[in-house]
Amino acid sequence: METLSHFALLLVGGALVNNILLTRFIGLCPFFGVSNAMETSIGMAGAVLFVMTLASTGTWVFWNVLLEPLGVGDFLYIPAFILVIASLVQFVEMYLRKASPGLYRALGIFLPLITTNCAVLATATESVKPGFFKMNVAYSFGFGETLVYTLGVAIGFGFALISFAALRERLEVAPVPEIMKGTPMAFITAGLLSFGYVGLGGLFGL
Amino acid sequence: MSEWIAVFKRGLLIDNPLTVLMIGLCATLAVSTKVEGALFMGLAVIFVMTASSVLISTMRRFVPELVRIPVFIVVIASFVTIVDLTMHAFLPDIYTFLGVWIPLIVVNCLILGRAEAFAYHNPPRLVSADGLGMGLGFAVVIVVLAFIREFVGSGEIVFMGTRLIAMPSWYRGPGVVMLFPGAFLVFGFLVAAMTALNRRLAARKVEPIPGCTLDEGGPS
Repeated sequence: METLSHFALLLVGGALVNNILLTRFIGLCPFFGVSNAMETSIGMAGAVLFVMTLASTGTWVFWNVLLEPLGVGDFLYIPAFILVIASLVQFVEMYLRKASPGLYRALGIFLPLITTNCAVLATATESVKPGFFKMNVAYSFGFGETLVYTLGVAIGFGFALISFAALRERLEVAPVPEIMKGTPMAFITAGLLSFGYVGLGGLFGL
Repeated sequence: MSEWIAVFKRGLLIDNPLTVLMIGLCATLAVSTKVEGALFMGLAVIFVMTASSVLISTMRRFVPELVRIPVFIVVIASFVTIVDLTMHAFLPDIYTFLGVWIPLIVVNCLILGRAEAFAYHNPPRLVSADGLGMGLGFAVVIVVLAFIREFVGSGEIVFMGTRLIAMPSWYRGPGVVMLFPGAFLVFGFLVAAMTALNRRLAARKVEPIPGCTLDEGGPS
């Protein structure tokens, strides 16, 4: 299984075919919340990439070293994972406040909300409990696979978010009926984007 | 009391979590294929939302700012566990339908978002209004969305095993409404309708509440 093509499939599968935002409804709050400006969506995509990679690998180690050997994984994994993720987010928040106050202010409430970004918890859980989110994967991931898969999901998240932000910037000047302006039109656009991603299903047999 | 009602109304209509603030969307779009599932999801969120934000508000003086998020999460996770076990015991069918989205209430942005933005800075009395209003606002929108999707998509509404209403037998629903993109499209039109409603309410002039910043994390 540990071949290059296997990893490539994991990456593409996570990023495009099973795009976490547009084909699985996971992590939609930042998708609509920050996508009205290009700069914040790039910041958000970066923050998610960073947090998600740390969180998935962190929880993978936590699961395989502590929870699974002790046999408490099945009923303790949600609080345990959430705490790992919450502490990570807090750490990123403190770091950003010092290192880049501009980005910190721009992200505002959405940075603490990464904790509640289902995408992070979902990806972390998926790596240790496959099938949790109805994925077509029937075995547990190894460490390398977790890393590659998470990178794929995070890239897919960032790609969808940034392309959607670009679309929304164009929508600002588009002649949209008065009542549909703003968020309603954003949803319709997301629906059309989602058609595109759903159409990718079955690509490479994924 | 009038302040309480103002905060409550604000959660329900003017700052409706789904159509205006747009937080807590994941669960909404995912479980809104069936009315009964959506209804119980709404009830679960109302309970968790109200209980956890009141508890957080009463402890707000003892929780240091740096560890607030882990503390919030633990409080919310305990209430979600209550809902999870109760629903598993008494409503097994609905529990199976909602599946993973029940534990995922823990990471529903709506609940943590309100804890962070409102409950952490306001007294319990107002927070209970905010929790009830926001929870009810969530529940109403999700049930309406589920009604539209189930009725148009499958042509009938089935509630607790009985068929409530059905389209004529020749009706073949557009299956796309039940799929992922359909959820976005239907929700888009729903938001447009809510915006129109809110504009008509705003024309009747609703006073803003002094001292309540709803959208920002900063202390009010």
